[in-house]
Amino acid sequence: MKKRHEFKLLSKTTFIYLIFTLVAFLGSGLFLTHEANEFINWELEHKYRRIEYKTRSVIDREGRRTADLEKLPRNIQIMPISQAPPEDAYPTYSDTTIYISRLEETWRARNKTVAIEAGGQFYRLTMTELVEDYLSLRDDIFRTMLPAFILLVVGIVAFNFLMSGYFFRPFNKILDIMRSYKVGQRTNLEKVKTNTLEFNKMQDLFHSMINRIEQDYRHLREYTENMAHEMQTPLAVIRNKTDNLIADESMMKEHGKTVKTIYEETNHLSRLGNTLNLITKIENGEFDNITQIETRPIIEQHVDAIRELAGLKSLTIDTDLTEEHRLEIDPYLLDIVLKNLLRNSVMYGTDNGPIRVTTSEKTLEVSNYGPPMEDRPDKLFQRFYRNNNHQGSLGLGLSLVKKICEVSKLQITYQYEEGQHIFRILRNGEMPA
Amino acid sequence: MKLLIVEDNEQLVEDMERFLEESGYVVECAINYEDASEKLWLYSYDLVIVDLGLPDGNGLELIREMKNNEVAAGIMILTARDAVEDKVKGLDLGADDYMTKPFHKEELNARIRSILRRHKFDRSNTLEVEELKVDLLSSQVYVNEIQLDLTRKEYDLILYFMHNPDRVLTKESIAEHLWGDHIDQADNFDFLYNHIKNLRKKITDAGGTNHIQAKYGMGYKFSTQNSR
Repeated sequence: MKKRHEFKLLSKTTFIYLIFTLVAFLGSGLFLTHEANEFINWELEHKYRRIEYKTRSVIDREGRRTADLEKLPRNIQIMPISQAPPEDAYPTYSDTTIYISRLEETWRARNKTVAIEAGGQFYRLTMTELVEDYLSLRDDIFRTMLPAFILLVVGIVAFNFLMSGYFFRPFNKILDIMRSYKVGQRTNLEKVKTNTLEFNKMQDLFHSMINRIEQDYRHLREYTENMAHEMQTPLAVIRNKTDNLIADESMMKEHGKTVKTIYEETNHLSRLGNTLNLITKIENGEFDNITQIETRPIIEQHVDAIRELAGLKSLTIDTDLTEEHRLEIDPYLLDIVLKNLLRNSVMYGTDNGPIRVTTSEKTLEVSNYGPPMEDRPDKLFQRFYRNNNHQGSLGLGLSLVKKICEVSKLQITYQYEEGQHIFRILRNGEMPA
Repeated sequence: MKLLIVEDNEQLVEDMERFLEESGYVVECAINYEDASEKLWLYSYDLVIVDLGLPDGNGLELIREMKNNEVAAGIMILTARDAVEDKVKGLDLGADDYMTKPFHKEELNARIRSILRRHKFDRSNTLEVEELKVDLLSSQVYVNEIQLDLTRKEYDLILYFMHNPDRVLTKESIAEHLWGDHIDQADNFDFLYNHIKNLRKKITDAGGTNHIQAKYGMGYKFSTQNSR
């Protein structure tokens, strides 16, 4: 998908607002100009009509020849014409300029030419009126509007830039709280105080959503826990009853296989419940006694515990441990990791060579010889993945290890090299030395 | 030896009672907190097995009560909850051991023995079955007074058998007793055979009889003259 550009909400609203303002400015400018033009025309017509009237009355009274030029209005040109002009020939308008020597400026003016009849004679009358004042006033509408708009743009952008931090502080705070929220952390969420309606709405929604999630989550957890617990007593009963059957010789002669299966499956179910419960607890972060642990003595302890067991399968365990290696992890979880990795290597290891447990300053490595995996290696850490030869296995050991590494900010990798399965544990973001 | 089982599941109580009586204990049962509290007030026991999840109270409370009343009995916690906090809390309160359901009865038996010995209720420091004798203090095993050279696990193994004579111990039970959860249950436990073969050989080489027999591919039985 094409990446879409993203904008801040405030920039977006500002942009739209400014476009709207621009349109409004232009619109009102055009309207005002139009009004001004109408006004100018009306005003001029008014003046022209007065001049026309005055001219006509002077000529009527005085007669053309005797008409006292002094008495005629100024700024007119009057010419007798022989006959009545056609209806639609007049009036005509034309624009002109007049040089005003006193001001040394050229002013705009407008002529109106009309035909009048006065004293029984037709005249062509051209009246000139200065319109510079009017027009420059009219043009000022746009001339002032542009700087005003620019000022507005600059002002709003600057204001937004300065104020967005202030207005959006509660919003960003709410976002921070949302970001740091983890399911099942139980702590009461801080409520950001703001009088912005939208932020409050969002916050309230967030809180009610979290409450619902927490509730669902609690139910689910209780269910899982109860499931795992309540299963165990009936399973204990089944196992004990099966034990009784095993003690019964005649029974075993006939139904040995069936009893064996019941016994094994009961054990399987019981371990399944316990392990799933453990994974749930780890996911919930219930093991948070994180301490820095020098791994060497602990690894040695685990290796000693399993060495004889490995020996029974003709496997040997070599260790190369350094005191430098430390992990920050809950000690109980470290036990589970070591137990599972060692158990895994003893279960799948072949006697082509020793099981090796190595630590360097940064890495913990457990490797064993064996034929390569048939499946893709990334399946290894999936829940309920198990090698075909070990159908009775829970298939949870390595996913348990992976889960622990995740919550302890460690990374675990698997590699198959020169006939060896190698598991390596590193601190997050570090490269093997 | 007098034991009190505090557990609300009747089926489980019945089985445990039968099993522990067969092992030579005098067993009484309480199916709830009140019952247990009363019995502990009236009688004295050498060991109390407490289930944490009781219908009318928490087993941890019962342990606290026992400690407050200075009840001298050993305490074994039995619970369906495999929670580390409970385990730590229980042991902190003064419980001697902790087992999670479902458990192997033979394992329970072995652990009860060890608690009783620690509390000196069981004054004998030796365990004898026919020609075999175990010195529990020095962890040595003798066949007709000839000392056997056993590994640590072989010693644990023979002791487990001798604590539970004439019973079929499943391979799972044995493996779990010896290696705890270091062992994956998916293993077919064939390697146990080598272990037991070695032990057998050491005993017969010293002139002992072959007590340990395989049973239906499920486990082994340490048989005494009673069953032979």
